[in-house]
Amino acid sequence: MNTNSPISGAGLAIGFGLVVLGAIIFFDATQMQVPPTYAKVGPQVFPYFIAFGLAVVGAYFAWNSWTPAARREIVAEGFDTDWRALLVIGAGLLIHLNILKPLGFVIAAIFLFMCVAFAFGSRKFLRDGIVAVILALVSYLGFTHGLGLQLPPGILAGIL
Amino acid sequence: MDVLGSLLQGFYTALTPMNLLWCLLGTTLGTAIGILPGIGPALTIALLLPITAKLDPTGAFIMFAGLYYGAMYGGSTTSILLNTPGESGTIITAVEGNVMARKGRGAAALATAAIGSFVAGTIGTVAITFLAPLFVKLALLFGPAEYFALMVLAFTTVSALLGLSLSRGVTSLLLGLAIGLVGTDVLTGQPRLTFDILSLLRGIDIVVVAVGLFAVGEALYMASRPDMRAAEIVPIRGSLFMTAEEWRRSWKPWLRGTALGFPFGALPAGGTEIPTFLSYFLEKRMSKHPEEFGKGAIEGVAGPEAANNAAVAGVLVPLLTLGLPTSATAAILLAAFEQYNLKPGPLLFASSSTLVWGLIASLYIGNVMLLVLNLPLAGLWVRLLSIPQPLLYGGILLFSTLGVYTLNNSTFDLVLLFLVGILGLLMRRYDFPVAPCVIGLILGRLAEAQFRRALTISQGDASVFFTHPLSLALLIIAALVFIGPLLYRWRAARLQSPKAAG
Repeated sequence: MNTNSPISGAGLAIGFGLVVLGAIIFFDATQMQVPPTYAKVGPQVFPYFIAFGLAVVGAYFAWNSWTPAARREIVAEGFDTDWRALLVIGAGLLIHLNILKPLGFVIAAIFLFMCVAFAFGSRKFLRDGIVAVILALVSYLGFTHGLGLQLPPGILAGIL
Repeated sequence: MDVLGSLLQGFYTALTPMNLLWCLLGTTLGTAIGILPGIGPALTIALLLPITAKLDPTGAFIMFAGLYYGAMYGGSTTSILLNTPGESGTIITAVEGNVMARKGRGAAALATAAIGSFVAGTIGTVAITFLAPLFVKLALLFGPAEYFALMVLAFTTVSALLGLSLSRGVTSLLLGLAIGLVGTDVLTGQPRLTFDILSLLRGIDIVVVAVGLFAVGEALYMASRPDMRAAEIVPIRGSLFMTAEEWRRSWKPWLRGTALGFPFGALPAGGTEIPTFLSYFLEKRMSKHPEEFGKGAIEGVAGPEAANNAAVAGVLVPLLTLGLPTSATAAILLAAFEQYNLKPGPLLFASSSTLVWGLIASLYIGNVMLLVLNLPLAGLWVRLLSIPQPLLYGGILLFSTLGVYTLNNSTFDLVLLFLVGILGLLMRRYDFPVAPCVIGLILGRLAEAQFRRALTISQGDASVFFTHPLSLALLIIAALVFIGPLLYRWRAARLQSPKAAG
């Protein structure tokens, strides 16, 4: 990003996002059905405060993104972003929560671990795989047998 | 109330073999997570909450407190040897500590940090012992209006003092308050911000938010920054026994750091970062050889390391006596109290005095354990630093998803974790502090309850907050914390503007 650009795109987006969030909270509060006994201090009062606060800081960040770059709150970062790594971890998390119940905790956890290790630049698949299998198995057995908590066994139901 | 008698009773509780074991477990785990970058006490306690649900509360809190203290001991090791802070409270330690390590005085830096932490932790614990009963007496004067005013003060100090700027702190706090709204209103049963999603009716658990911000957000951020991945470990060199000269130069900074750190933790001023920075600059100013600062001055390690441990001790005072969390870890500890249906505050000292005094006594024991764990064994702990980053973050995310899933056995919580993680990434990327968000989440619900209780008692008359002298005083201080820096900056800008215009 160019630090000399007249407005800060990120600052504008953050400000806009905060104002929208405030608007959602405000709208949600107006829809509440408040019993008359609670009319003065009902469940809608605090949301109004928070909505107002979010609108104020949002407006501030949006306004601030027009000021000269030196005095800006949100500055364009001076570093490269590894978007691919972010995508790998994000996809890993989403797939993990979808396969957790059908395939079971152990397989889902190994998959997630491998995704994260890959995103952090590791290409030692054998080492990562061994660590992942050990961690997943130990935590599964420790949680289910040791602590009596439930974790989905999935397709390994009969084996573990 | 006989303080020493209660404390003796506390030692009786803390010295049972089982509780000693919990203390050892907590301090050991705390040192480990303190040393590991990317994982801190708030995250670890949040992940331990589901596991400890069935444990007896005294043992659990002894472990948690040991963990909180231990993280501050361990964090300094990472700062000194890796130049990456292990914890946010040890950022400034890296400045002088890492230079000392590079010059072959790493062992002395580790020693002054560990002994300083011990001195500060012990003095801080003595201060808790004698201050807590006084705070309890004060807290008994508090009604809902005063509690609400106190929480408003905590909101302003937390957002003003944590992070780069007031606007960022306030934004983070408001996000936490907004997340806290989600769910069913306790008093009226009115669903708020649930968007007709059934799973949202029970609200968003603080564990999901803390883990999402501290673990998922942090992992995403670190993955997005390849430039932050490589770090060089400086091997420990030199003797762990400090020379007479090093002792002479360390003891005053330890005491001054303690004197700075404890009040910062005890007042609702939040966190361990500010007092460490203040301590560093104080030592720099008071030093007879300021030219050594930046080149490995031992005072710059001794002072801040004492300050962060004293601050941790201080944080426990408002948490136990008023139920007021002033750091992210304290917010999670408050959630832990809720898990056991315990309500921190003046009544806790009466109803659960075994727990409270056992906990306080365990802090004395924990400090001794930590000194032993950290000083002679420093060389062993350092090996943790050689865990490759891909494996470290893989493990963190594995345990994060595991901990969040076991909260309610629901994959919906994992969806929330993912979303909060993205929020955490954005906050980290644009330098928004995450601690106010976690504090706001739990304190918001309490503040709202007190606010509505006060207004119900006064039958809707909002002037109660201003007619009660204590409440008014607290609100005025809150306003000053908020407006003070703004006024100061406005004046500074006005004084500079003729020059800056060009």
